[in-house]
Amino acid sequence: MSNVNIYDSRADAAIPAESPLAFSYHRSGAPAAGAASRVVLRERPFLGHLILRGGAIVLDEAVRDELGMNLPGRPQGLVLDASGERSIQWLSPDEWLLIVPGGEEFALEGRLRERLGDASFAIVNVSGGQTLLELEGDAVPELLMKSVIYDAHPQHFPVGKGVTTVFAKTTTILRRPDESRWELVIRRSFADYCYRWLLDAGEEYAIGVVAA
Amino acid sequence: MSQPNRLVRGGRIDRTRTLSFTFNGQAYQGHAGDTLASALLANGVDIVNRSFKYSRPRGIVAAGAEEPNAVVQLGASEAGQVPNVRATQQALFDGLSARSTNGWPNVQRDLMGLVGKLGGQFMPPGFYYKTFMAPASLWMTYEKYIRKSAGLGRSPAEADPDIYDHLHRHCDVLVIGAGPAGLTAALAAARSGARVILCDEQEELGGSLLDSRELLDDESASEWLATVVAELSGRHNVTLLPRTTANGYHDHNFVTLHERRTEHLAETAPLANGHRQVRSRLHRVRAGRVILATGTHERPLVYAGNDVPGNLLAGAVSTYIRRYGVVPGQKLVLSTSNDHAYRAALDWQEAGREVVAIVDAREAPDGELVDQARSRGIRVVTGSAVIEAKGEKRVTAARIARVDLDRFAVAGAVEELHCDTIASSGGYSPVIHLASHTGARPTWNDEILGFEPSLVKGVSATGGARGTYALPQVLADGAETGSQAAVACGYTAASVELPRVDAIREGQACALYQVPHEKPTLRAPKQFVDLQNDVTAAGIELATREGFESIEHVKRYTAMGFGTDQGKLGNINGMAIAARCLGRTIPEVGTTVFRPNYTPVTFGAIVGRHCGELFDPERYTALHQWHVEHGAEFEDVGQWKRPWYYPQRVAGKLETMHEAVARECRAVREAVGILDASTLGKIDIQGPDAREFLGRIYTNKWEKLAVGKCRYGLMCKDDGMVTDDGVTSCLADNHFVMTTTTGGAAAILEWLELWHQTEWPELDVTFTSVTDHWATMTITGPESRKLLAELTDIDLDRDSFKFMDWREGKVAGVPARVFRISFTGELTFEINVQAHYAMHVWKALFEHGEKYGLTPYGTETMHVLRAEKGFIIVGQDTDGSVTPEDLGMQWCVGYDKPFSWIGKRALTRSDTARENRKQLVGLKPKDKAVVLEEGAQIVLDPKHPVPVPMVGHVTSSYYSPTLDSGFALAVVKGGHQKLGETVYLPMADGQVHEAEIVSPIFVDPKGERQHV
Repeated sequence: MSNVNIYDSRADAAIPAESPLAFSYHRSGAPAAGAASRVVLRERPFLGHLILRGGAIVLDEAVRDELGMNLPGRPQGLVLDASGERSIQWLSPDEWLLIVPGGEEFALEGRLRERLGDASFAIVNVSGGQTLLELEGDAVPELLMKSVIYDAHPQHFPVGKGVTTVFAKTTTILRRPDESRWELVIRRSFADYCYRWLLDAGEEYAIGVVAA
Repeated sequence: MSQPNRLVRGGRIDRTRTLSFTFNGQAYQGHAGDTLASALLANGVDIVNRSFKYSRPRGIVAAGAEEPNAVVQLGASEAGQVPNVRATQQALFDGLSARSTNGWPNVQRDLMGLVGKLGGQFMPPGFYYKTFMAPASLWMTYEKYIRKSAGLGRSPAEADPDIYDHLHRHCDVLVIGAGPAGLTAALAAARSGARVILCDEQEELGGSLLDSRELLDDESASEWLATVVAELSGRHNVTLLPRTTANGYHDHNFVTLHERRTEHLAETAPLANGHRQVRSRLHRVRAGRVILATGTHERPLVYAGNDVPGNLLAGAVSTYIRRYGVVPGQKLVLSTSNDHAYRAALDWQEAGREVVAIVDAREAPDGELVDQARSRGIRVVTGSAVIEAKGEKRVTAARIARVDLDRFAVAGAVEELHCDTIASSGGYSPVIHLASHTGARPTWNDEILGFEPSLVKGVSATGGARGTYALPQVLADGAETGSQAAVACGYTAASVELPRVDAIREGQACALYQVPHEKPTLRAPKQFVDLQNDVTAAGIELATREGFESIEHVKRYTAMGFGTDQGKLGNINGMAIAARCLGRTIPEVGTTVFRPNYTPVTFGAIVGRHCGELFDPERYTALHQWHVEHGAEFEDVGQWKRPWYYPQRVAGKLETMHEAVARECRAVREAVGILDASTLGKIDIQGPDAREFLGRIYTNKWEKLAVGKCRYGLMCKDDGMVTDDGVTSCLADNHFVMTTTTGGAAAILEWLELWHQTEWPELDVTFTSVTDHWATMTITGPESRKLLAELTDIDLDRDSFKFMDWREGKVAGVPARVFRISFTGELTFEINVQAHYAMHVWKALFEHGEKYGLTPYGTETMHVLRAEKGFIIVGQDTDGSVTPEDLGMQWCVGYDKPFSWIGKRALTRSDTARENRKQLVGLKPKDKAVVLEEGAQIVLDPKHPVPVPMVGHVTSSYYSPTLDSGFALAVVKGGHQKLGETVYLPMADGQVHEAEIVSPIFVDPKGERQHV
């Protein structure tokens, strides 16, 4: 839909940026990952996060043309492109989360808007407001049982699924891009709480952090 | 040290491992595999407590969760104190220390025993309401002694050293109870491929198989048990949880399981692999199907003196002998209404002790166990029952007599049998507690003389829990139920080969609850129904005589089944007695509701990790670290931590809040201040109908707001009351960004979605929260333009970038949207940048700001500055009963907007349109030094006799450095018409403050300063 203000809020690379966990690393530290670590947490900060709103059919067409990947056709779907660098996740019946390498989001928004023309849709850049955490290790399922209400059993949560669920006393987006990896997308203002929760819950699994 | 009642062989204990423990300060020894109860019995400890009301000596009665007496206080250290532990459920560990919870000054010889004897007559049912009511002034004294003597344990006075957590679990089939039925149910479900959780409250899985006499496939039950447990634990789709009590069954098959992970090891959790481990854990299970395999509780018979130590449940006697190798006495009399209880006598005799007699209430019992007893030469007295136990601290004799059950009378001569133990059994009650938690009322079954659970959708009961008692049928029923549950979850039934079991033929039981005595119930020695709450048959009879007919009333009047007991042992007997007294049947009387928790759950497990610094989320802005490093004090606003004020060290001394706020206020009015406003809610609104939507949701007009402009908006609920406010800016014709109050952000986004989705889905508009994406820094004060000019490429000229305009550009090299909106009344620029860069921009502003006196200020200064301008804070100056008109904000109401915006119609209701509503005004104290109290009531005439009519209250009040005076905002009835009048504020200490009603705008009423 036209006649909106699209704005590149990303600064030049020379400007120092702080991830939502900057204060947490400073205050709580980042226990090193070692051989005994049954959970390894890695932040993937500064990615481009776009919220797409609108009808699935038009958005699917535009996304396919631009990114060569489908919009997830089913609720709770997560689709990655061939490189694994870009992903689209179903959030609600007319809402998807598109995550791309940092710096791509503004140009992509422009190109998508151009393709979508006068269709009914919205795109909102939320890159500054959230960050992505990766979790790997054999104890991740149990760590998730401590943290989220949603059933993350492999039978119920296959690769290619993503949900929004309760995490401790806040919410998270939980997704499973491949067999060994789980991802959490957390909001900036809750990031420290989530981080401290994960360190606490992961203590018995000797959780290690690969800081950004 | 000797364990006089310990058998030389038999049982599942490990005699090679001896464990030391203390009970009431006395040292004892037991073995690995013991419970505290079995170890106490092995050591011949008769008295474990004093009773709650009558202070009578009490001993161990049961062997499981239904134990009413052996409720102990655990813990050698202060921090390790645990109240409410049933000795029958506590595994023995080396160094365990336990005390009786009742018995002041001690259980053997206590003062209250006398009070109990004498005072019993002063403590009839309902004694709380009757005896201790007058004189009321003495209640505090009564209460102190009642509480002290009633015991019930105590909390630790020191912090808990242990940690606890929650695990959210999901499964297809949750099987509660790992007895024979639960095991075959779990096996059948697991083999079908279903995800299965099997939990059991005991130390070991197995339930009744752990003390069974039956052979399975010609081997002892423990052989079969070991094979099944091995298979289950080897399956990846099965989670086995021993020591785990299903304590609550909630809606939609949500069941909470309380797992005690280290309580069998030590008082506080030992380290595991160098890491702390949780002491106990709450599993929050969401199950596809739930199978209740909770078995039965045996019912004791209600006869006189049935609470004297040495009175036990028949089944408990068998359990102690067969499972723990403990015979709890020398000479046994068994009183029973059924065949199954004969096991106790057979086990007793096999243990080498004397069975004095079996007293059977039936005229002609003829089951296999009866035959066995007779053939072993045990005296069986039929048509009779134990009518009274003699003894005080231990049973010394049983008085037995023929009883006429139809007439409820003793029908023959009384014979006294010397013995030290009386085992009784009045039949078996399915454990229906969990099923009752769902709200389903159980139904009476005359066949089994017990209540069966009523089952809500998705739950089934199997084995003893639904009245199936014979082992072969129980095993088969479990397998069938497990299989059906798996099929209901979409799996294909798998076969389970059942062990061959020779059924023991048992005769029909008779209905016997209370045993008649020679004397009528009210005159007979006490016949206890609920041992934990000291409820007697006479108490229930009295309650019915006093007019309590509903069983729920009888329960409350007598305290039957209260507290941690939840009626496990006594409730059915109590209902039967109530039914007899009321001349009704048991099903007519019905049952009371069993509530969660089934047995007590430690608070730690309920809290989990939601404690200490993880108690509640703390939300931080991107600038939080700077605030911390610059000594900010923080204020909680919703879950946000906002800088409240920044006390500075002045001449070596830290400023008070008052000093810091005065300094921050002056900096803003005279130079430039900076506020982290990132917490304000920000909602991105896009769509061709965005403008129309705004017009409907806000009270004011949005039709003509041009691109590049901002506007203050007021929102009402449909009742016409103000609910939120904020500035919304037009980014493009179809694009707006709305700001909300910090606390209201989430609720307002939901409010917008609610109206869009339910009322106006035809409007093409979307809402997305961008609160976290943007960081907002407000620089405000006369020097703010000069400061910003040093860092931006935006033209800041007053004529090209006017008040209530916004512009895009770079600030400190970072793309920014800058808004000229003001909450202080000063020249203000709100700088919004993507949050990742906020710290960079903030620091750059300080690098350039020093020469202008840039001062960080917090929420307290913000409150003072906005109040000086009469700007409201929704939720402080409004309370959900305030309309825009009450606030004098008619300028912000589009009365002639074509669409009936939310709240419009409500403004013409007679109540909202009436005169004399409370209206927002300013208050100027006559004494400038006075800062009125927020919330203080306002009166017009302080000399008016009490009650003085109150006309309003103070909503905001501060000291203003600018005015050098206290000032306040208030709501006053008809206040808008009362400007210049004097009002009074009487204080609790007797002072009466005087204040003048003035305009709420105290500083710069023409708004010139923000326009410069």
